[in-house]
Amino acid sequence: MTAATTIFRRPKTTSGFWGWVTTIDHKKIGIMYGYTAFFFLIMGGLEALLLRLQLAGPEGQILSQAEYNAMFTMHGTTMVFLVVMPMSAAFMNYLLPLMIGARDVAFPRLNALSFWIFLFGGIFLYSTFLFGTTGAPEGGFLAEEASRLGSAPNGGWFGYAPNTEPQFSPGTVLDYWSIGLQIIGLASLMSSVNLITTIFNLRAKGMRLLRMPVFAWMSLVVNFLLMFSIPIIAVALFMITFDRQFGSQFFQTANGGDPILWQHLFWLFGHPEVYILILPAMGIVSEVLPVFSRKPLFGYAAVVFAGAAIGFLGFGVWAHHMFSSGISPVAQAAFGLSTMTIAIPTGIKIFNWLGTMWMGRLQFTTPMLFAIGFVAMFTIGGLSGVTHSIVPSDWQQTDTYYIVAHFHYVLFGGAIFGIFAGLYYWFPKLTGRMYSERLGKWHFWLMFLGFNLTFAPMHWLGLQGMVRRTWQYAADMNLGPWNMAVTIGAFIIAGSILIFMWNWTVSRRRGAEAGIDPWDARTLEWTIPSPPPEYNFAEIPTVTSLDDFWHRKYSEDEEGRAVRREEAGTLVADLEYRGNNPEKPIHLPSPSYFPILIGISIMLIGYGIVYNSFAWGIALLAAGVLGTATSFIGWAQEPAEEPAEEETDGEEH
Amino acid sequence: MSEQNATQESMHIDPYERNWIRISIILLIVFAAAVTIAGFALGFQVPSPEERVDPNNLTGPWENPGLRELSPGVYDLYIIGNATTWQFEPREVEVPVGSTVSFYVTSTDIQHGFKLQDTNINMQIVPGQVSKLTYTFDEVGTYDYICTEYCGVGHAAMFGSLTVVEK
Repeated sequence: MTAATTIFRRPKTTSGFWGWVTTIDHKKIGIMYGYTAFFFLIMGGLEALLLRLQLAGPEGQILSQAEYNAMFTMHGTTMVFLVVMPMSAAFMNYLLPLMIGARDVAFPRLNALSFWIFLFGGIFLYSTFLFGTTGAPEGGFLAEEASRLGSAPNGGWFGYAPNTEPQFSPGTVLDYWSIGLQIIGLASLMSSVNLITTIFNLRAKGMRLLRMPVFAWMSLVVNFLLMFSIPIIAVALFMITFDRQFGSQFFQTANGGDPILWQHLFWLFGHPEVYILILPAMGIVSEVLPVFSRKPLFGYAAVVFAGAAIGFLGFGVWAHHMFSSGISPVAQAAFGLSTMTIAIPTGIKIFNWLGTMWMGRLQFTTPMLFAIGFVAMFTIGGLSGVTHSIVPSDWQQTDTYYIVAHFHYVLFGGAIFGIFAGLYYWFPKLTGRMYSERLGKWHFWLMFLGFNLTFAPMHWLGLQGMVRRTWQYAADMNLGPWNMAVTIGAFIIAGSILIFMWNWTVSRRRGAEAGIDPWDARTLEWTIPSPPPEYNFAEIPTVTSLDDFWHRKYSEDEEGRAVRREEAGTLVADLEYRGNNPEKPIHLPSPSYFPILIGISIMLIGYGIVYNSFAWGIALLAAGVLGTATSFIGWAQEPAEEPAEEETDGEEH
Repeated sequence: MSEQNATQESMHIDPYERNWIRISIILLIVFAAAVTIAGFALGFQVPSPEERVDPNNLTGPWENPGLRELSPGVYDLYIIGNATTWQFEPREVEVPVGSTVSFYVTSTDIQHGFKLQDTNINMQIVPGQVSKLTYTFDEVGTYDYICTEYCGVGHAAMFGSLTVVEK
């Protein structure tokens, strides 16, 4: 067993390809999360554009029925699991240690493992376009040969059983879906444990919980939500995988399985998931708004506790996704009320953000525009969400485009706007350079316009009776004009994303030097050089108050207005110098090969389970299990010290 | 002195803010009352499981789904959804204007939806469970019913229509 440790010496390199592959630096991992999520954003976006082309006019013929089903399933699955979640993970990985004054997360190798498992889970899921097969139920008159584009999971992102049972959805695509999501969930679960531990144990001196930036707080809530909700979907996915692979009967109605059970499990995970998607964006916006309003966050404690309240209440509202499925009137009333209740903490936050901007000296930079866009669009989405809590109204909206409009207002107008606010806001920290403000504003206004053109008309389409997940609509339904507007809006969004990509690519090389604190900001990540050195803090800071950095730069006059201290300029220059020149050499954990090896091995296990009826499938399974086990042993025995000391150390074990 | 001011200020609630709080609380009470009254006093129908059936072996009225006249102008309509052929059975129904129709809908295999356009009937159809809602048709016309719950490749093809004709 010691072979593993002697085969792989602990790698030394921290640059180049192998530097990225073996890194356990939270910043590099965060960047990899970000780029991967952005890649999948493009994939999910292309899927959305195909859907919109199909629906642009009545009786569209761009996609076949099978392709349409595959596209909307993959669009939803991608955007939730492969875009917004990892993008939030990117922010949390990169920023949490910087914000709380730590040199890394609590378990750096586990952090790398989370990323690699996520990446290979995503690759596994998307390999369905290469290898997946579909089919219609036996005797189904619509059985057709699907193209490669249609050979993707087609059960919807919610994957309602029993439709996902093998006799109704033969072929392997739903195996790719269920096992792929299982792998990706594993990554989230690991990362949640890691980040919770980081927040509880690695805060700098004086960084009490109630002095943490709101983003750190929202991350804490999100990671608790992940820790409690991912196991629920894991159980459900195990059940469906067992039904599909090993003949169990959990959802087989014909043999007494429960057809509603999946819905309960899925939404008991699915509703907290919604908050998992939105809370990091709320955290980002709570950082951006005070900085560009030149005021502290209004009602810090209220924002924090409202976030925590959302976390708790989020577990008590799931049945509002299933009001039409025949649950009892008492349960409907109870879930209707709990859904109304969850609007309260959300409303508190919105008013606090407005209070933050109220009377502030607003600076309309790109991140600020996105943050304000977030508040406005999220409010619209939140209000249409409240209409779902009115049970009789919800029955009429169920499965119509009104619902599609609602959740895009919260997840696109909310989460994605928040993410872009964060990407622009921390761009100078990440790259050390400034982005082009002009292109950033083009991006914002085009996206804002395109977004509203895309999703606002969906409210009306839904109320007109346009049903979701339906391949075509008849010409006499009179839905054509607004659908055309929606499609045009979708392409405007796509254009704005291209502007963002251009801005990002050019500015990170040629942008103006940003310095350590270009926004005159409040939190600890702005007290270190941009981009941050590998050790983050040359000296771990001591914190004496909320927004400590701000108070070191500003005092108050008699009327409570902020007055910049004379020594603020020297303070920042001094921080930059000291950040780059640590007094003592700083010891950092060495990189490791094992996280990526385990990631690959787990992907092999996934393929092994899909093809377990073939001998080569079993071989893949065995290879994966062996690879995982060996890598874990190697991981456990990996010396913590530098490679030079490895050989003598390794033999002792 | 400044500390005292700070305490007083933190206790102070702006009149606008106080009104906002009041309005929000009143709205919540109105919403809660509306739901409670609608659910319990007005007896709004919920598409609750009317009865349990064996989806493999549908007996009684299900052997011959369709319209049953109970008394003049009062009908029971039995409809089965199926995901092998992606059809509602029956696909076409005709009733005279002024009829009160109780929809009994179930599925033989997986979950479907049943939405009668231009009415407030929308229910999820669950195998093993009969969903029931009642509606009175006072206007002549064609009402399409469509499957709203995604049910596989033929989902978009799953629809039927109810025609209300002059007496």
